Amino acid sequence: MAAHNLTSTVQPSDVYGGDEVQAFVLDPGYYFTRAGFAGEDAPKAVQPSFYARINGADQPKDIYGEQYLIPRENLEVRNYMTKDSIVEDWDTAPKFWESLIRNQLLPPRQVAPKQNGLNDIPREDQEGDVEMGDSNGADKTGDTAEDEELKLFEESPLLMTEAPWNTTKNREKSIEMAMEGWGCPAFWISRTPTLVSFAAGKPTALIIDVGAANASVVAVHDGHVLKRSIQKSPVGGLWLSQQVQALWEGNDPKVEPVPFFMVENKAPVDAGAPAQYTARKLGFDISETFRAYEDERLRTEFKESVVEVWRGPTRFMMPGTEEIARNQTPGRVFEFPDGSNHMWRETRYRVAEGMWDDTAQLPNTPDEWKISAEQTLSSLIRNCLSGVDVDLRPNLLGNVVVTGASTLINGFNDRLNIELTQMFPGLKIRIHSAGLSSERRFGAWVGGSILSSLGTFHQMWISRKEYEENGVNIVEKRCK
Amino acid sequence: MSGAGGKFREDQVLVICPGSQTTIAQMGVAELSPPQHKFPTRMFHDPETPGDFLPFHTFKRKKQPIPEALANASNSGSNPAAAEEEYEWVEDSDSVEGAVYPIVGGRIVNMKAFLAFLEHVHSSLTTTYHNTPILLMASPQWARDDYETIARYIFEQTKTPSVCMLMSSIATQYGIKWPNMCVVDIGYQKVDCTAIYEYQIVNHKALCTTTSTGEAFTLAGGDAFTHSLLEKLEEKGFNHDMSEQLKKSHICEVLPYAPNSPPEFVELPTEPASGSATAAAEAGTASASAPAAGATGASPENPRVVEPSHSKPAIGIEEENGENGDKGGTEADGVLDVASIVASGQTKEFLAKKEKEKQEKAAKAREKKKAAQEAAAEAAAAAAAAKPTRLPNSRRVKNVFHYEQIVEEEVMVPVLVPKKDREGENKAAAAAEGEGKEVSMGDASAVSPPPPPPAAAAAAAAAAENGSALAPTAASTEGKKEGGGATTEEKKPEEALKAKSPTPEPIMVPERQIKKIRRDIEVGLERFTFATRALIDQLVHLIFETIQGSPEPYMRSQVWENIVFVGNGARLRGLKENVVATLHARHLVSPSTATMFLSELPSNIATPSGTGSQTPVPAGSSFNTPPGPPHQLAGAGTGGGGVGGSGVNPLLQAATTASLQLPNRPGGQGGDTASNAGGEGGSAGVGLMAGFHKSHHSHSQTPTNIRAAALPTYLGEWTKNGYEEAMFLGSLIGARTAFCPAHNVDKDTLECIRGMSLGRVDYNILLPNVKEEKARRDRDVRFQRFDRFVDPVLLIQAVTVMEVLKCRVAKSSAGKAEAEVKVKGEWKV
Repeated sequence: MAAHNLTSTVQPSDVYGGDEVQAFVLDPGYYFTRAGFAGEDAPKAVQPSFYARINGADQPKDIYGEQYLIPRENLEVRNYMTKDSIVEDWDTAPKFWESLIRNQLLPPRQVAPKQNGLNDIPREDQEGDVEMGDSNGADKTGDTAEDEELKLFEESPLLMTEAPWNTTKNREKSIEMAMEGWGCPAFWISRTPTLVSFAAGKPTALIIDVGAANASVVAVHDGHVLKRSIQKSPVGGLWLSQQVQALWEGNDPKVEPVPFFMVENKAPVDAGAPAQYTARKLGFDISETFRAYEDERLRTEFKESVVEVWRGPTRFMMPGTEEIARNQTPGRVFEFPDGSNHMWRETRYRVAEGMWDDTAQLPNTPDEWKISAEQTLSSLIRNCLSGVDVDLRPNLLGNVVVTGASTLINGFNDRLNIELTQMFPGLKIRIHSAGLSSERRFGAWVGGSILSSLGTFHQMWISRKEYEENGVNIVEKRCK
Repeated sequence: MSGAGGKFREDQVLVICPGSQTTIAQMGVAELSPPQHKFPTRMFHDPETPGDFLPFHTFKRKKQPIPEALANASNSGSNPAAAEEEYEWVEDSDSVEGAVYPIVGGRIVNMKAFLAFLEHVHSSLTTTYHNTPILLMASPQWARDDYETIARYIFEQTKTPSVCMLMSSIATQYGIKWPNMCVVDIGYQKVDCTAIYEYQIVNHKALCTTTSTGEAFTLAGGDAFTHSLLEKLEEKGFNHDMSEQLKKSHICEVLPYAPNSPPEFVELPTEPASGSATAAAEAGTASASAPAAGATGASPENPRVVEPSHSKPAIGIEEENGENGDKGGTEADGVLDVASIVASGQTKEFLAKKEKEKQEKAAKAREKKKAAQEAAAEAAAAAAAAKPTRLPNSRRVKNVFHYEQIVEEEVMVPVLVPKKDREGENKAAAAAEGEGKEVSMGDASAVSPPPPPPAAAAAAAAAAENGSALAPTAASTEGKKEGGGATTEEKKPEEALKAKSPTPEPIMVPERQIKKIRRDIEVGLERFTFATRALIDQLVHLIFETIQGSPEPYMRSQVWENIVFVGNGARLRGLKENVVATLHARHLVSPSTATMFLSELPSNIATPSGTGSQTPVPAGSSFNTPPGPPHQLAGAGTGGGGVGGSGVNPLLQAATTASLQLPNRPGGQGGDTASNAGGEGGSAGVGLMAGFHKSHHSHSQTPTNIRAAALPTYLGEWTKNGYEEAMFLGSLIGARTAFCPAHNVDKDTLECIRGMSLGRVDYNILLPNVKEEKARRDRDVRFQRFDRFVDPVLLIQAVTVMEVLKCRVAKSSAGKAEAEVKVKGEWKV
């Protein structure tokens, strides 16, 4: 399988046992951060890249973990990534990742029982004894919790993913964090398209990745990203959500969705009728950021269950097509958390049409979310291919790999096929997309998992020694 | 499984289901009976060798001097003085002092202790180490390292031939058998919610007390309820143990969800119409209890014991009490029942030397003080109990629960020594006491039925006042029951005592005894309000997020239809119902009228030619009968909702029936039909009319139907026991499948079964250098093989039984039904 791909770039060395190391694979994205062990088929830890900041009276406190993103007083939802899918907040990111790995991948024992608070709640009346027990356990190792943590990462190489347009500074920060902060013995950073191509088992491929914050089209040749081919635009999940929002606002009557956390219970009402629901009384104010986070989740549900890509054969905005959509396709009902429900007919195609055709954007799209003709997926693909050698194009078009959660919208592949055929008549086009949604959502992670568990990859890692000899810029030299 | 002959005997399989508080373990999987052996999941530091663990609290204790007489009698000739200085190690199997809990919130926080605990369980259940494969239930919080460490330990420290680790949610599924389920496992301090689709875990989320970095954020699980209860009742003198017992008692329940009564959304019982009367009653009881207090000479704050009718015996003994000149110590205990005072007065003489006893009393006194405030209320309860009307618990403002406290103390136990006269009233009395104790035990059980008559309650409460006073109290209970004969009854032990004194003299030997002390405590509305909205919302939110978070939308609807609550935290009365009802009220997507009224279809349906090109009825639909859909629907509507009627738009009827299914739900059959009419087809109306729509995806939004999973009925014992411990049942089944496969399995199935467990041979192949290894995480630890791209944990963790079944189904021409029959046949004992 994928093992064969690597042999073209790296000479296999017959060091058996290169896979013995337990490596971590970390794949940060704008909406989700994924982490897991190399060699597994899916990341064990998947968590939104959002975290909670509690603005108390004194110093604000950050809490990481999806389960803590709940209505709470003074809770602010923040994200450590930028909308360009690169790490922005380097103070938070390592902590976020560390908590993710520690809480979900590792056994909890490296934290001394005294500090982990596990003994606090139920048995307060016997602290005396409990503490005695703790010291018993702790003094054996003689280490503080922090030392233990370091030790833990000391044995685990780390493979990170990055957006193809990641900056040099950012990459250097990554290796610095891994080497200095976590004490990793080895490190590697790889661009997502490369990894996706690994996951798909195609060393040469055209990677179409539509994620949450970005859509990108990148040509990968023999496991290397062709830099001139990198194309990206914001037509990802968030942009789609904005279209959904615009759709709701432009609807008659205007839809003003209430997110789930504000509803205590609801009563069924007729379509289009005002909602009858009991609001939940929280007794405190909800921050805007939390509300936005929740709204986004609701829009995600709408995208999942209602939005569909118009499959063609004609573009949706062609005269007459809209009528066909209205009359010949079934509508979908969407019930909002407050119980109000609406029937969505042709408009549910219109929402996603902007991905392919900028004229189809809803008229009331906010300006900052308007895209130009150059930013549609069709244009991205065209521009990407015009950036690569003509001889390569047939090969790339024969290996189109689709990844990213936003490609899971119904009809995406059908439409992509039509667009490609119309754009490149006469060329053989083959679209490869994983059937399992998890593989599509975690494409880059899976690729990283495969790559880092390969024995042949063993000698590719940037070792600690190399790092110490060369400094942070080793990453630019090695991870091309 | 090691080798081809890797089949084990059914009675030689060890199944261990660890929990953070209790671990269920059983040797042998031949019988699928509810759990027999439960081990508290805790270990204790070995005081002698630090770093080691012992299963029980062990402490050094000064050896009790062997009474001279006994020593003499046994002719040991040892010097009692020398014996006095000896120390002994004592194991106390009930103490939790200094306990180490290896599992907290599902995570193994102390692996050393956990392994020691495994060893303890293993050794107490197995006689030989040979050929006993182990099925260990794993929890989703375990990390990969944990699996590895445990596997290493088991293979290297025991002679176990084969190990299977089974995820608890999958185990639950084996027990309850549905292919698609949402397993809500309410544990001690955590809640796990797992969505399972087609035998595969598709999503898992959990609530747990803390993060490993020590941030206590939320409380979850059964303990959260206890804490909430404790919080509400703390000022009334409750402690954690009392709250726990109250929570488990039948009077504590979660009231049904009432969507229209904010803020807590339950309907609390209100005071009976005679609101003023209650106040009066309270005043009355207060005054009533005052004389009681006065009569016994206890301080006014003490009378916490219900004194319903001051019967003669009580007064009679009261006088005796005066004679005995009991001191304040006993009084401080709040003992009002004179019978006990008498007894305690006597026993006190014996036990006065025991310091421990004193401490205990002091502690009790404190407790009493706190509880004292309740006294008045309790008296009111007694009055209430006297009322003839018997309301269900949920309609009563107050109810009484019986708190049983286990107290351990040292008492002198008589040992009969042949002919060694040791004159002394004390000993004799003690003998009587010892004898009386047996009586009391019997009596206590006789008294114990849940709604006890006030008199019994009072007596029991009195008994609670002092463990050592048990005997006479019990006697008095009897006395009260019998009314007139009480006084004589009361005297009996003493008479017996006197009669006995000349007979062969018993010698007192100190012995530790465990006593049950019962108290009746009245609890008000706190027993309902403790289940706060926040706690229930937590669960509701968790379930919603877990199921809606399943990766593929089509999985969700089926998972929504089989929600099952397991874990002993789920035993809380009414909790499941409330959670499901809340889910219904908050998240159920009702069949929309949109498709009905906005689409062009309804108009067509009236005409016989309605099923034209625009209304393609899906061929596979349950309503695929030829023309005349109105009739069909009317029929379904009638069957489902029990609402008949012509002239009503049948579609509307179907839709409304479906939306009304919530009230019908418990109806079973009727409810089912309704849900067929409504839920399944994405609501009949929608499904039928938007046939085209449905043929692609059903109602794309979920949940359109929320249902608690039906529990299997073919295991009678389990039905009685409740399926809260279904994971244990599932583990038994899993162990059987993994280790004792039937003879007639085909090759593929065998392969699956082989994959379920990790045999010693495989282990040795996978870990060739294991013996030489020093450090735990040395590079040689490999669970991954170079050429295999698999989840390493899968090697040890099971391929699900159901997968095995699937193979079987695929292979057998007869299909699924046969396979099911087969399995059931295997399950039955």
